[in-house]
Amino acid sequence: MVIFKNRGQMKIQQMAFMLVGVFFFFMLVGLFLIRVQLGTITETVERLEQESAIESLEVIASMPELNCDSVTSLCLDRDKLGILSGDTIYSDFWPVASIKVYLVSSEFETEILCPEVNCNYYEIFDNGQTNKKEVSTFVSVCETATESGYVYDNCEVGKLVVGVNMQEE
Amino acid sequence: MVKKIFGKGGKEGQQEIVGFVLIVVLVMVGLMVFLIISIQQPTVEKNSVAVENLLNSIMMQTSGCAPSFVPNYDDYENLFSSCYRGKMCSNLNEPSCDYLERTLIDLLETLVKTEATVSAYQLDFVKKDDEGEVGIMRILEGNCPGVITSAQKTLISNSDNLVIRLSLCKN
Repeated sequence: MVIFKNRGQMKIQQMAFMLVGVFFFFMLVGLFLIRVQLGTITETVERLEQESAIESLEVIASMPELNCDSVTSLCLDRDKLGILSGDTIYSDFWPVASIKVYLVSSEFETEILCPEVNCNYYEIFDNGQTNKKEVSTFVSVCETATESGYVYDNCEVGKLVVGVNMQEE
Repeated sequence: MVKKIFGKGGKEGQQEIVGFVLIVVLVMVGLMVFLIISIQQPTVEKNSVAVENLLNSIMMQTSGCAPSFVPNYDDYENLFSSCYRGKMCSNLNEPSCDYLERTLIDLLETLVKTEATVSAYQLDFVKKDDEGEVGIMRILEGNCPGVITSAQKTLISNSDNLVIRLSLCKN
């Protein structure tokens, strides 16, 4: 009788261990799946935020003070950039912390501010704020060129970098 | 009594083996799920705004190839059409396709360097018709362990549909 009682207890104990083991196993699988799902959601949110920020750059690029014409989107006029570069009159006009345009179609080692010779970037505006987040997108930078009496648009790839004001804590 | 106990013990032993096998099967199924998720192919995202802007900027860039006369230089959008039509760059005495491929490799390399998160890129230039796509040019660089973002542009040349597709791999 004593043997049977002990065996029964042992069986119950085995079963209990098994149930705990199976429970932990499924819990781990569940946790893993939840983590994967949350990771995907976080990635999607980050991507959407980035896309939204890039789309807001189109507003800056479409301003008549910068764009080539009202038809072509994300096209900046190099002559306008040259005039506005370093101009402080427009300081209160820009709704952002900074605007820079880099000419990236040819590789460069050092940044040379326009209008220097062989320059590669324009600083349109910078309010000196350090607490800002920079967002960038590729744009076309075009100028009207003349060669052999023929006028044509000379465009190259640029990168518009806009600093967005961060809220002070 | 002894026989009975052994007989019962034998049956219980079989049951335990069956239980053990079931657990092993469960663990295997779990491992398979992990394996499937971990070797899942990266998701292809279409119409990424960032890649679309890059592709549009490349298309608008003025090239150094003038098929008709200087300075009537093609932008890259027209250069793709010139390449499809088999035109020559009259100022360089070079087939436009050769010029396009040569300069596009350099341009893409330079542009991608400005994006720290891009580990690989692929540009496909294809002709699209009812039967499918026929490849004309492909520029491929790097390996892709991350997420692919892409954009494409369609051109019409000689009533044929030409598609330029740019894919970037971001870590």
